[in-house]
Amino acid sequence: MKKVILFSVLLAAMSCGSGNQSNDAVIGGDSSTVDTASSNSVVLPQDAVEGIVKTIPSPIETSVIIKKAGGEYNKAILNPTENSKNYSSSFKKALNLGVYGADLGYINIYEKNKESLYYLQSVKELADGLNIGQFFDFETIKRMAGSSKNADSLLNITTDNFNQINDYLFQKNRSDQSVLILLGGWIEGLNIMCETAIKSKNPKLYEKIGEQKIVIDQLVLVISSFESDANIRELSMGMKEMQKIFEKVEITYTYKESKMEIVDGIPTIVDKSESKVNISESQVLEIAKITKDLRDKIVK
Amino acid sequence: MSEEILKSLAQLFAIITKQDTGVSESERNYVINSFKKRLNLTTAEQYIALYEEFLKDGENKEEGKKRLTSVKDSVRTLGICRKINKTLTHKQKIVVLVELLELLKTQGAASAQKEEIIDTVSTAFNIDKAEYAVLQTFVLKDDSELFETEEILSINRTSAEDFKGKSRHIMSENMHGNLFFIRVASADMMFLKYSGHDEINLNGLIIAPNTVVLFSQGSTARSLKGGVFYYSDILSQFISESAQIRLSFNVTNLEYRFPNLAIGLRDINISEGSGKLVGIMGASGAGKTTLLNVLAGLETPYKGEVLINGINLHKEKDKIRGIIGYIPQDDLLIEELTVFENLFYSAKLCFRDKSDAELTELVERVLADLGLSQIRNLQVGNPLNKTISGGQRKRVNIALELIREPSVLFVDEPTSGLSSRDSENVMDLLKELTLKGTLIFVVIHQPSSDIYKIFDRMFILDVGGFPIYYGNPVDAITYFKRISQQADSDKGQCQTCGNVNPEQIFNIIEEKVVDEYGNFTPNRKLTPKQWFDSFLSNFQIKKLEDIKDAKVQMLAKPGKFKQALIFATRDIKSKIYNRQYMIINMLEAPLLGFILAFILRYKNNTDHSAYLFRYNENIPAYILMSIVISIFIGLSISAEEIIKDRKILKRETFLNLSRNSYLISKVLILFAFSAIQSFLFVAVGNNILEIQGMFVTYWLMLFTVACFANVTGLIISSAFDTAITVYILVPLLLIPQMILSGAIFSFDKINDSIRSVDKVPVVADLMASRWAYEAIAVAQYRDNDYQQLKLENNKENLFQLEQKENITNYHIVYVLPEIRERIEYIKENFGSVEDSVVRKCETDLELVKYELQKLSFVTKFPDELKLLKYGSFTVFKGNDLLTHLAKLEMFFQKTFNETQKRKEDLLSKAEKAGQNLNKIKDNTFNESLSDLVRNATAKKRILNAGGYLAPKLDYVYFAPVKVEGKYDYRAHFFAPVKQFAGIYFNTYYFNVSVIWISTLLLYLVLYFDWLRKLLDFLGKLNFLKK
Repeated sequence: MKKVILFSVLLAAMSCGSGNQSNDAVIGGDSSTVDTASSNSVVLPQDAVEGIVKTIPSPIETSVIIKKAGGEYNKAILNPTENSKNYSSSFKKALNLGVYGADLGYINIYEKNKESLYYLQSVKELADGLNIGQFFDFETIKRMAGSSKNADSLLNITTDNFNQINDYLFQKNRSDQSVLILLGGWIEGLNIMCETAIKSKNPKLYEKIGEQKIVIDQLVLVISSFESDANIRELSMGMKEMQKIFEKVEITYTYKESKMEIVDGIPTIVDKSESKVNISESQVLEIAKITKDLRDKIVK
Repeated sequence: MSEEILKSLAQLFAIITKQDTGVSESERNYVINSFKKRLNLTTAEQYIALYEEFLKDGENKEEGKKRLTSVKDSVRTLGICRKINKTLTHKQKIVVLVELLELLKTQGAASAQKEEIIDTVSTAFNIDKAEYAVLQTFVLKDDSELFETEEILSINRTSAEDFKGKSRHIMSENMHGNLFFIRVASADMMFLKYSGHDEINLNGLIIAPNTVVLFSQGSTARSLKGGVFYYSDILSQFISESAQIRLSFNVTNLEYRFPNLAIGLRDINISEGSGKLVGIMGASGAGKTTLLNVLAGLETPYKGEVLINGINLHKEKDKIRGIIGYIPQDDLLIEELTVFENLFYSAKLCFRDKSDAELTELVERVLADLGLSQIRNLQVGNPLNKTISGGQRKRVNIALELIREPSVLFVDEPTSGLSSRDSENVMDLLKELTLKGTLIFVVIHQPSSDIYKIFDRMFILDVGGFPIYYGNPVDAITYFKRISQQADSDKGQCQTCGNVNPEQIFNIIEEKVVDEYGNFTPNRKLTPKQWFDSFLSNFQIKKLEDIKDAKVQMLAKPGKFKQALIFATRDIKSKIYNRQYMIINMLEAPLLGFILAFILRYKNNTDHSAYLFRYNENIPAYILMSIVISIFIGLSISAEEIIKDRKILKRETFLNLSRNSYLISKVLILFAFSAIQSFLFVAVGNNILEIQGMFVTYWLMLFTVACFANVTGLIISSAFDTAITVYILVPLLLIPQMILSGAIFSFDKINDSIRSVDKVPVVADLMASRWAYEAIAVAQYRDNDYQQLKLENNKENLFQLEQKENITNYHIVYVLPEIRERIEYIKENFGSVEDSVVRKCETDLELVKYELQKLSFVTKFPDELKLLKYGSFTVFKGNDLLTHLAKLEMFFQKTFNETQKRKEDLLSKAEKAGQNLNKIKDNTFNESLSDLVRNATAKKRILNAGGYLAPKLDYVYFAPVKVEGKYDYRAHFFAPVKQFAGIYFNTYYFNVSVIWISTLLLYLVLYFDWLRKLLDFLGKLNFLKK
């Protein structure tokens, strides 16, 4: 009898303590402790955000520009893959997923396939951490990375993956994360651009940097609608600082009527308007500095 | 006798004979005869001359003086006696005294003066007054007075009813005259005296009437008409009253068969009472030891019975077990303990009532009695590494039984390998025990004459287990001589020296037929069967009546707990004395821990200068190896334990000590060792690998596993006979533990016939290693500081949030799309008549229903959908299902987002509170382990496990997805909780309990010795096949 009592006491002792429950209980457990309403308030309508996000150039496009402008490959300006383990919050994970995405694009453009494997790993890791790992078929990517012939398709696949992620996140009401990924990618891209520009003193790149004035305005608009989140608010402040510096950049539009042209046998309306960017070297340096500060804060 | 004694004797004779009126002729003749009897003619004459000289010497000086005992004579007597005291043994002194008293008898009435001198002698010899008085009566007084003396045994034809005297008495029908015996207890000697006209024959020599003759050990006195009197029978008359034990030992028609049914013993009939020393002899292979074992109750007879005081030894063992003692041929000593400790603990196990001081005294006394006091503090050692001699070992073995004084003692070849002196000492010891009433059976091989004669009875076996002799030892020789028609058949022993030659018996029994060339043929003159027939016709065994009323004196054993304590102390002591064993045992674990951890301390991060626990890829391997090491050490320290003790255990079965107590003591000691070993191992290993805050987790589990291994080791140790077998078995036990630990081979990738899609295979559930590995891995992943991160006002920690996050995500990403896909497939194909499609649709629908029903805690699964059958499926129903699914998707999405927010909240708040999360993670969270328990490399993330969906990722977050009934304990590997009896348990504690419960079950197997019984049973089956 004593033993029975002892045994049941033991059983009770073993089963008590939090966390010993079925899956149903885990999912259905009460969720009253968090004020979800406040943290999830989006000022801009969801579709507006989605619209803006889609117009912003992807990091890969930025990389193409850099390469075209004759920038040399510089590994040192990328975010080291070892850092990926240090991002524990979703906020950091999303931002740096963007950062690594940009890095990956840069590497791919320069066809450093071996390097790209490590960055893919980090991308995958962060995506897994955000529960969006399902969009990366790592095995396929790895196989493709084995040969430089596949560089193009690799680029395509990763671009596709990022697009899918974007769609998915918007669909799942996680647009904040989508925005963060985008932002991370943009800042990293800008940073690379600035670094390359300072080195090469290529006026084409200066111009490209100046063009980001348009982008940052949109980005600030989007990001400020998520300011209810403390982390994002901080980031938004940084962006606004940056925006102020960009304000000094002058962009002048010369409007020309659009014309109908035949491109690849298809009649297309081509925008013939031209914009001219007026940016000084000191301005570039200033932008580069603030970009680097913000970027370093992100990858830290 | 030495010259000195003879000289003294001559002097004493002279002093006595010259008293009174001087030496008479008859006195002188007596003295001369006395010398002649003892010595050869020339030396006898030499001493007679010496005697004459002493006589003259006295006469000359004292001529004319009054014939009184002079002071001078007394002084001289004392002087002589003192000299004799130094050289003569007590026995010899008694002989001298009897000799002197006999001298008095030669001239009729003894004179007061002479008696006075002899008195002086007896006092000087330190002989007990009362004993001397009786001796004096016996020698000097006539029959009528002897009848009145209690200490004397008289034998005549008077029947017991008519005998009126005070002396002990035996009736012998055809006896003429009176035969008297006296026993000098202090010297353990007997004398006889006969008055009458019959011819009394002592060991084949006629004795003169009215003379006192020494009745030495093994002697036989035979009256021509009145029967035979054996030494042992006469002795028993004297000691029967001092022996408290009333005992009957009756063996009836005993037959023994070996396991292969060959007959080992046949028609054994034995009947003995207390205080007998029974020898068992036989040609080699005749079955002596077998007989001893059957009689001792170690082997069960095929037919017949052994009754001790009417109690069947084999069937009612418990009633009498404690009264039987057994001394096998091998040692029963614990090598590491000292002589004293061996005896002390043995005694302690026998006597509950005695205090330690009393026991010490008892042991000291026995040691002193056996002349072992000097070696009391020596370690016994083993026969190869001797510290004490063979004879001493044997005596210590016997001392074990002496202390406890069993009523029936069985001894197997006590003299083998001993010198003749040691052999005699040992046999004397046994003889002494019989004097206290113990019945002793001794298997003896080639005894010397003296030893042979010590026996009261001899039982001789011939090849094939035939009994061919049972009776007086010395008579055996005459019996065999007579049957084989040899000359001189009536003389058993050498007429002059009294020696017997037991070898003769076997020469006669095994005498071979000679062929026509005079060579021996292999055929015996008389076959065992013929000897047996002759035995049957010549011997009739008188059965002693079974003593029914006598209470069998059981041992006052200590209680079971006390026994366990004594066993344990004894065991610990013997282990501590074995320094090598201790050192290796204590160093082995930490050393292995060091080697393992040192090698596995892998700095995976090239950019950091410091070693970080987080990136060490070897942590899962470390967990596995520490479990394997624990099992290995646990097995190896226990595997020899019982084998080593087997001999001692065999003896202790006779003490009827509790097996449980013995095993508990073993188990407790081993557990203690295991506790220390695993402690040291974890202390070293975890520190080197910088595993933080997990000490108790590792220690408790490794200790648990080691205990499991300990009991397993004890089982094989108890079931198999040799240490080598056991060590061969160790890999057989260990390697499956490794294969099925789940650490080396994934349970998802093993043979289909034992694999289960979403559960640990049942065969693996039999392995302690699997439970241990899972428990440590889960605990290490879940209970580390990082995963336990928590805000003060929040009840959920990081692990719980991630658990919720991952489970909901699994539903969003895998479960719900799977269901959707299936519904859509059915919607598209439900009109199809193709068999395979129909079948797929049917099973898919069932799965969809099952999964949606399972999720009805979220939104109730509508009854009409629940009852939906494939036959009644419509597009609308399909749409209903999809609508329901959409609701679920909404819910999970919302939960997921909320959970992620909460997690975000927790992390950022923790960081703001000043916690360095990365540092905590670096120190307490291991990436490789995380990959392992989350099954990060899985390609398929969800599987159809036969009617339901099972996750193949994030194992460590999911409770078992499908529980079949309340008592279905099964789960997938690394599940964080286990279900049993409707309760969810923390995996760590659940697994610890599982191993402890198995350990308990194994203990039962050990206690009942099921493995050994099974092996015996299988062995028997083999014989039947043949």
